[in-house]
Amino acid sequence: MTSRTRLRSAATFFAAMLPAVVVAGCSGVEGTRLSIYAASSLTEAFEELSVLFARTHPAASLSTTTAGSQVLRTQIEQGAPADVFASANPEHMEALVAAGLASDARVFAYNELVIVVPLDNPAGIDSFEDLPNARRLVLGTPNVPVGRYARQALAAADSLVRPGFVEAVLDGLVSEESNVRLARSKVELGEADAAIVYRTDAASSDRVRTVAIPPEVNVRAEYLIGALERADRSPLAEAWIELVLSAEGRAVLERHGFDIE
Amino acid sequence: MRSPARLPAALVALPILTLLVVPMVALALASSPSDLAEAVRDPLFAPALLLSARTTLVSLALVVAMGTPLAWWLGRSTSRTARLVEVLVDLPIVVPPAVVGIALLQTFGRRGLFGGWLEGLGLQIPFTTTAVVMAQVVVAAPFFVQAAASAFRGVDADLLTVARTLGQSPRGAFFRVALPMALPGVVVGAALAWARALGEFGATLLFAGNLPGTTQTMPLAIYVALESDVRVALALALVLALVALVLLLVLRAAPALWARVGAAAVATGGGPDRSEEAGGPGGAGR
Repeated sequence: MTSRTRLRSAATFFAAMLPAVVVAGCSGVEGTRLSIYAASSLTEAFEELSVLFARTHPAASLSTTTAGSQVLRTQIEQGAPADVFASANPEHMEALVAAGLASDARVFAYNELVIVVPLDNPAGIDSFEDLPNARRLVLGTPNVPVGRYARQALAAADSLVRPGFVEAVLDGLVSEESNVRLARSKVELGEADAAIVYRTDAASSDRVRTVAIPPEVNVRAEYLIGALERADRSPLAEAWIELVLSAEGRAVLERHGFDIE
Repeated sequence: MRSPARLPAALVALPILTLLVVPMVALALASSPSDLAEAVRDPLFAPALLLSARTTLVSLALVVAMGTPLAWWLGRSTSRTARLVEVLVDLPIVVPPAVVGIALLQTFGRRGLFGGWLEGLGLQIPFTTTAVVMAQVVVAAPFFVQAAASAFRGVDADLLTVARTLGQSPRGAFFRVALPMALPGVVVGAALAWARALGEFGATLLFAGNLPGTTQTMPLAIYVALESDVRVALALALVLALVALVLLLVLRAAPALWARVGAAAVATGGGPDRSEEAGGPGGAGR
């Protein structure tokens, strides 16, 4: 084979690859695909809901993307092809509504915060007041809802528990994670002494121990769902939101530990 | 070289060149000067840039100091062991960085292989700046070792023998003959390793975590900024790309500058202090 024919066949190869690359970029039949962007803490609940959804919409090709709500919001602002957004706090949803990117946002579930520690509890954290014992505390970043709620709870604790409590707790902060599941994983791996996560995240892991946060300082996390405003929004978006708000959908959410009212 | 294959070669090269260069141009176009000024004032920026500078310089020094003897052995040895080690050294390039991070946790984490032993010594590695450096060394070292080994392989063994017969010690033969001859390849390796360390993200995030000032390097700061303000993230990314570009150019130009400094020193019979006029900027030897 001369170098010339080799080059030519290389060019043919790339030319042949091109349509494959383009096709790979746009999958799913128009009208039957549905792209849902959901907060990380909703992962299992929405997985179960998508099984229910598939029963009534067998032709639908459903994709669920989970991440920190702030990540999803940014992606939607940048034109991500999402049809439905479920946020773990009002702020990120309201920003999209204000920008005209989402409409008709409704609260569909509530959650609260807990502390999770490794099963062997190396720092000996048995109550909220013990939290300063954590020499390796992991929180969410200040932007992810779980990180924001945790800082609210700590701020409330400063006057209720004892002055200087927050500094003592934040002194042990070793990492800020971009979503609640990453924060939990540091505890599951045994690397962190404690993390502040949602009650539902603590319940869905058998590798962490839960320590309650007293109601006086705890927060009520509000989950909002809304359809996104785009020209080619899937007609299935409303059907998904109806399912989430239906009695059946609420039962699924409750089973995963969310409060419904 | 005139070759009939030049046109098809250019046609094939153009898409890849476009793919490599255009996104960088787009990045530069995405930020206005005021965006850049805002990004530089962002509280994420200064600590992250300083941390990146500090950790990558330490990583680079460690990689070069520990990687050079290894590369020398890999480059000169014909043993099977050397070939096997070469493959093992390549492994962190092939494995996704996140996997490198998990592997480091399984080694140095609290429940890792050395976890109990480290805890006994009162040492904690995950979530520290040390962890950032370790992650960078692991992902960057293979690039340096491979490039340096191949540069050492290219050094003519006869020249080393001649140097020895002329009275050089093995150490002298290495530093005065082998290293200067292999230097361009070694420097390319160092530049690649440094660039890889600067861009390191996945292993750092998993092994070292993300805390401003301690473990949040530029790539992590960009990731966090991306979650709240895309403009800041774009500008941070542009600053990082510019810093990297300047340092890569300097590193690439270094061997030529070195050679000119050396030549000037020989020509004038003086030390390197006499060579300012020869060692000026300009990327000599291009």
